[in-house]
Amino acid sequence: MVIFDLNTPEKELTFRFKGRLDTNVCMKIGDEIVNKMSEIKDPATDLLTGYNIVFDLKEVNYIASSYIRICVNTAKQVEKGKFSIINSDPFIKKTFKIAGLDELLNVS
Amino acid sequence: MGVLPIEKANEVLEKALFAAAEFQQFNQEETDNIVEAVYKAGFNARVKLAKMAYEETGIGVWEHKVLKNVIATQLVYDSIKNEKTVGIISNDRQTGIIEIAQPLGPIFAVTPVTNPTSTVMFKILICLKTRNPIIISSHRSAIKCCTETVRICYEAALEAGAPEDCIQIISAGSHELTQTVMGHPKVALILATGGTGLVKAAYSSGNPAIGVGPGNVPVFIDESADLPFTVANIISSKTFDNGTICASEQSVIIEEKIEKNVRAEFERQKCYFLNPEETERVSKIAVVADSLSMNPLIVGQSVESIAKKANLIIPEGTCMLIAKLNGVGKDYPLSVEVLAPILSFYVAKDYQTAIKTCIDLNYLGGIGHSAGIYANDDKRILEFSQLINAGRILVNTPTSQGAVGGIFNNLIPSLTLGCGTGGKNITTENISAKQLINIQRVCRRKLNEKWQNIDRNLYLDESLDESTLIKKYNKNQ
Repeated sequence: MVIFDLNTPEKELTFRFKGRLDTNVCMKIGDEIVNKMSEIKDPATDLLTGYNIVFDLKEVNYIASSYIRICVNTAKQVEKGKFSIINSDPFIKKTFKIAGLDELLNVS
Repeated sequence: MGVLPIEKANEVLEKALFAAAEFQQFNQEETDNIVEAVYKAGFNARVKLAKMAYEETGIGVWEHKVLKNVIATQLVYDSIKNEKTVGIISNDRQTGIIEIAQPLGPIFAVTPVTNPTSTVMFKILICLKTRNPIIISSHRSAIKCCTETVRICYEAALEAGAPEDCIQIISAGSHELTQTVMGHPKVALILATGGTGLVKAAYSSGNPAIGVGPGNVPVFIDESADLPFTVANIISSKTFDNGTICASEQSVIIEEKIEKNVRAEFERQKCYFLNPEETERVSKIAVVADSLSMNPLIVGQSVESIAKKANLIIPEGTCMLIAKLNGVGKDYPLSVEVLAPILSFYVAKDYQTAIKTCIDLNYLGGIGHSAGIYANDDKRILEFSQLINAGRILVNTPTSQGAVGGIFNNLIPSLTLGCGTGGKNITTENISAKQLINIQRVCRRKLNEKWQNIDRNLYLDESLDESTLIKKYNKNQ
């Protein structure tokens, strides 16, 4: 469902998702994402200073509204411009467009 | 400090928008499964919700509200279940046009106190069928029963795999919140059912709206009508849920020559004709004189309750009050819409005068809504129909149950009745799922050969008139 790829020298944490991200799946991966992000948070500021967070949706064919919420909550924890969604297929891109979030979440 | 209306509206719309984003990924089968589940849940709760609505609002008759819930679920579901509302809905090889249905986005649905649970279920079903999230604002006097209706429908929808927040309800107590949501830029469409003020607010919001407001339904009884049948039908309609359906009969108009028989038939079927002094008393409690609008306190009340309020002594078992009026307008308060078992009664000297009275009543607050005629004379039925401005002209049919469709005719079952431009609507149809999709048309290249073959420079020649050019245009090639 989700694989992490932490590139410490480049300060980039990539989450590669797979399959259908429905509400049930999102309930599970939500915690996994939060836990992984806490590992690299600056303990002093509780922020992900300097890190790029990337959600790779290459192998995703469906997203629930709870996944959109995960994206929004994650983006709020990183510095402006340091969150992005890559490799979305056109249907997923449209989903973010309808939610009015494609620019905010830097969807490509 | 509490949450500001705009903050609340933003929160509600964000949830709805996320639901819309998820919903547009659903296929027809997934969508239909959700609609079926919600229909069944709503249908199974029909009695409980009807009783709740009656107890909370004090309006109508709970047994009749059960039937309204059945119309809003069973009949509505039956009419939409096989409709294509997702993806490619038609492919016409001859015209080369493929139609694709797309959802609209968040729909803001305002529901009335008169038909609270039924309208909520109806609007939920047609919104889900079209993959649109719905935000409901119920009337403040019906918030409990509407909240319970939403809970039942939402739980069934989620169980069937629907997106989170695809159905929401906002606290209707706040007029400001309703106004703010109405004008919110993320709202795709407003489905407003209610009074004139509400409908006007919906249309002034800047968002697309289907607003259905009041009616003032005239019913002409022709001399050719079957009187016992006619009177029985009118009574069954006007007393249904104590007259709360906006398509219910407001006035009966007849020719002088049949007055005696019509009156006798109404009396035989337990209606009570008010004398002029009683009419004045009922007028005072039924209509607010300054605004010439019905008094909300008598809406959906029983005959006994109205009689008590007006200090009337009426025969036991009376099912309806009838007031004979000599005119239409502000000097005759009961000539306006009154959603209660009070019927106004006009006797005209001849057919022409009777029809003119129907037109006057029709234009007194009920343009575009509904009208009725009882006749066994096709010429008169068609003449009446062409003179009256109504989306539905019900023939030999109770107008309440006739206008909502699916029982006495093949109109689309609906609790939101389009009133055309007369009612400031874009349509006179009964609103259903088909009005809640954007249809995209994929147009394949299909050349108009006549256009291709004519020398189009000929159009530039001012000396050539229409008949010459059309002849050349239609010339066989």
